[in-house]
Amino acid sequence: MKNDPEEMKVDQIEKLVRRPVLYNNVDGVGELGLGLFGLGCGLLDWLQIRNPANYIWHRWWGMLWFWLIIAVIYYGTKAIKTHITYPRTGFVEYRKRKSAWLSALVLGCATALLAAWCATFAARSHWNIGGPYWGMTTPAALLGLLYAGAYAYKIAGEIRWKWAVAAAMAICSVVIAMLPTGVIGVVAGSTSDFTTLPANYRAWILTITVYGAIMLISGGISFVLYMRHTQPAAETAK
Amino acid sequence: MNRTTQKIAELDRVIHEPGRLMIVALLSAVEQADFLYLQHETEMNKGTLSSHLSRLEEVGYIEVVKTYRGKIPQTLLSLTAEGRQAFQQYRRRMKEAL
Repeated sequence: MKNDPEEMKVDQIEKLVRRPVLYNNVDGVGELGLGLFGLGCGLLDWLQIRNPANYIWHRWWGMLWFWLIIAVIYYGTKAIKTHITYPRTGFVEYRKRKSAWLSALVLGCATALLAAWCATFAARSHWNIGGPYWGMTTPAALLGLLYAGAYAYKIAGEIRWKWAVAAAMAICSVVIAMLPTGVIGVVAGSTSDFTTLPANYRAWILTITVYGAIMLISGGISFVLYMRHTQPAAETAK
Repeated sequence: MNRTTQKIAELDRVIHEPGRLMIVALLSAVEQADFLYLQHETEMNKGTLSSHLSRLEEVGYIEVVKTYRGKIPQTLLSLTAEGRQAFQQYRRRMKEAL
């Protein structure tokens, strides 16, 4: 970090203010958590639509799987932070977020969802895109692109190699949108009990699962790099 | 003295020093952080960081709490309300001046 008075410009101050927020994922644990969540939810959905209605995955206690994933993410993150991150690069307690932030997040997600649907139907009517499936899979892809854009803006802007992650997410979104329904049906399931499931639901499952896998890989790489480039404070002192 | 020069002259000298500016900017985004985190982010040595922290504590911009995390001593640092206000004012004046 530069320590020259001439170079401490306003934009550098703003960058410094943003650094603690990025520090939350310095070890890749944030992405590992997101990846586990995406893969877990995708797998649960896949198991539900691949198996008949009387299977465990459709019972209320089948949902314990979901809570198990949440518990692993919560306690796993806590353990890594306490035993690895804080002794190596320090402890940070973030400011409590106000409820207005949560409202803005919910409103933003709802708006994005609505915008994705509107864009899809506008595009279909404008270009007269044939076939029922393009319109069904596009909302998932558009939201995926939105997420990839937000990821690029927030994270890849600071860490160069994360542009590859953002690009992978964007490419996967487009590929999922263009997949023939037959392929989506094979990958994201179709059983006699659930033949009426719309293609967009299957596209959702695919998108969540693929994004989960990408996040998990990206988080894993970040974690390995963090471990290689940092040492516990005691070892640094020696 | 023109307006820009006047704005620059009004800048808080305690915060304007680059080392201390880094510390205050980093602490402004968090509730509290420990010494190790600041050392890692600013890449200062312990002595330099300590002297900057002492100066900031002296003027009442930061609060220093010495505690333990398990059996390991830990120095927690946070911006006081006064420090937060001083930093906001500094940012505003810098934007106006540049």
